[in-house]
Amino acid sequence: MTTTATEDPRERPGAGHPARDRVSTPGASGSSGTSGAPAASGAALAVLPGVLASALAWTDAHRTRFALPDDVLEPHTQVNATLKPLGELAQLGSTIRRATAPGTPEHELAGDLVTYAWEQLHEGALLLELLRAEPFAAYPYEIYAAFAGYGLRHEGFEALARPLTATRAWAHTEQHANRQLGLVNSERRVGVLTHTDAGGVLSRTWLGGLSEPWMFEGPSGYALTHTVFHLTDWGRMPDRVPERIDGYLRTWLPAWADGCLESGQWDLTGELLAVAASLPGPAPGELLDAVWPVLADVQHPTGCVPETGAPVQDPAPDPYPFIDCYHSTLVTAFAAALSLRSLRGTGERGETGGAPPGRERHTP
Amino acid sequence: MDQTHASSPLAGAVHDLATEVVLALRSGDHLATVCGAAGIDEENRTGIAAVRVIGADLLLPSVLYGRHPHPGDVAVLDRAVREFPPKPDAPAATAWSHWHMISTLQRMAPPAPGAAAPGTDAEPDAAWLEEAPWQAFTHQLSVLAPLAVPAAPSAVQRAAANRAVDLSRGFVRAVRRRDWLQAAGAGRWLAAIGGEPATLGLERGLDFVEQMGGHDPRVTLHVRAARLMAEARAR
Repeated sequence: MTTTATEDPRERPGAGHPARDRVSTPGASGSSGTSGAPAASGAALAVLPGVLASALAWTDAHRTRFALPDDVLEPHTQVNATLKPLGELAQLGSTIRRATAPGTPEHELAGDLVTYAWEQLHEGALLLELLRAEPFAAYPYEIYAAFAGYGLRHEGFEALARPLTATRAWAHTEQHANRQLGLVNSERRVGVLTHTDAGGVLSRTWLGGLSEPWMFEGPSGYALTHTVFHLTDWGRMPDRVPERIDGYLRTWLPAWADGCLESGQWDLTGELLAVAASLPGPAPGELLDAVWPVLADVQHPTGCVPETGAPVQDPAPDPYPFIDCYHSTLVTAFAAALSLRSLRGTGERGETGGAPPGRERHTP
Repeated sequence: MDQTHASSPLAGAVHDLATEVVLALRSGDHLATVCGAAGIDEENRTGIAAVRVIGADLLLPSVLYGRHPHPGDVAVLDRAVREFPPKPDAPAATAWSHWHMISTLQRMAPPAPGAAAPGTDAEPDAAWLEEAPWQAFTHQLSVLAPLAVPAAPSAVQRAAANRAVDLSRGFVRAVRRRDWLQAAGAGRWLAAIGGEPATLGLERGLDFVEQMGGHDPRVTLHVRAARLMAEARAR
């Protein structure tokens, strides 16, 4: 079949005009269509400051829900309900702080939240205990790297991690390609030799393979978003996205985001928006303008965003269980901060903070 | 017999007609009469209505194989054009479908000298298509998939060619919604006009759509048409 590559955004004909309004369609054969006016230019910027401030305010008001229990190191403790949320608070909080301007309330609050998370870990001492308990697991290192990349370090942790991460076993940890990219990014943050070349790992991911876009679904969607997060150090270095992947994402993100909105996958919608705001070059304004107002409508007046499903209309302060909304709320704040940076053309874009893109050191 | 066929006499007639078009596309047999095989003649009111639904695709095997259509099929299509003119307030897609039936008749079966031909209509308006969001655009183009044939220029075809990326997004959206008929129609347009991003994987996508939605012969019809056009483009 003859095909023509038209993924270069500069050559993109008929850029999309997503809209959510439903209308009856002539001659419809059992299928529904969407129509309505194209999203107004500037629609994203109109809602983004409020979305960001509100999501951060909810997070701040619920910060004690991220607190670690006294038995956090006991084997029976659920990591997914303790260390994972706290690590995500640190990861996304530090990204929001970097993406916002010093002196703004969002910048200060994001910094407070990272400091709070670090205090919960006893300034890293608890992570060292965790590593001593599970020296061959990768997740303590990944949590630590979120702080190390921000400048919060623990000498004892690094002293134990150093020999472990220099082993052949570490370099041959068996895991999904996008998680391996996460490990590479963690190594970059800590500042050690990366165990492999990120480009080679990228080519093994769903995204790096430029997979057929009609095969996108939840698991491949999250694999794709995390591939971009790890590749760009959570949106900090858009220039690390290769041109072919940039073009691929700009072409297909509108179709995927539309599907996520339609099926109420708010958490994945937020991650896709963060991906869109992590691309090099001009912001994908039409996509951001089409999707952000919808997500803003889903956000509860208190600032939280449900992971999936129809948003509740209950005005009570906690309409969703914490575990069902903390991640999507953090992601919404993170995506909003990156989108504001992207649309305003400000922030750390272009800063490499170390090795230039694609030139990171790796073990031979 | 599937649910589509059994749901109403009209749906059954559409199913039978589409099935016969698919068989003719597979065999390439220019002598076959689609209407005759489906048991439809000029006096069959339900059958004529079904031809109005299938539209100019009644003659698709002849269009794609470059052969003269069977006179019986031409007569029934001509009857459908005359019996079901679009009402003044008909949706634009209906007006376009009607226009395309007339223009197909004129291209494929010019009237004998002196014989009355259906009036030649000017092209309906297509500006609304150019401004439609990509989701609605794809849906409307899919409804107008019979216009996706070679050597049949129209404002709809030009709009499609100008928005191949939007149509490709619509194909992705339709597959994700499990709307096989819309996906097949969008895929047929892309095969007709080209220009889809290489990463779409249209060929495998159409195979998938046919396997998942092929119980509806209209889906198979569009996929087969797409393959024949893609093969012709590749030559």
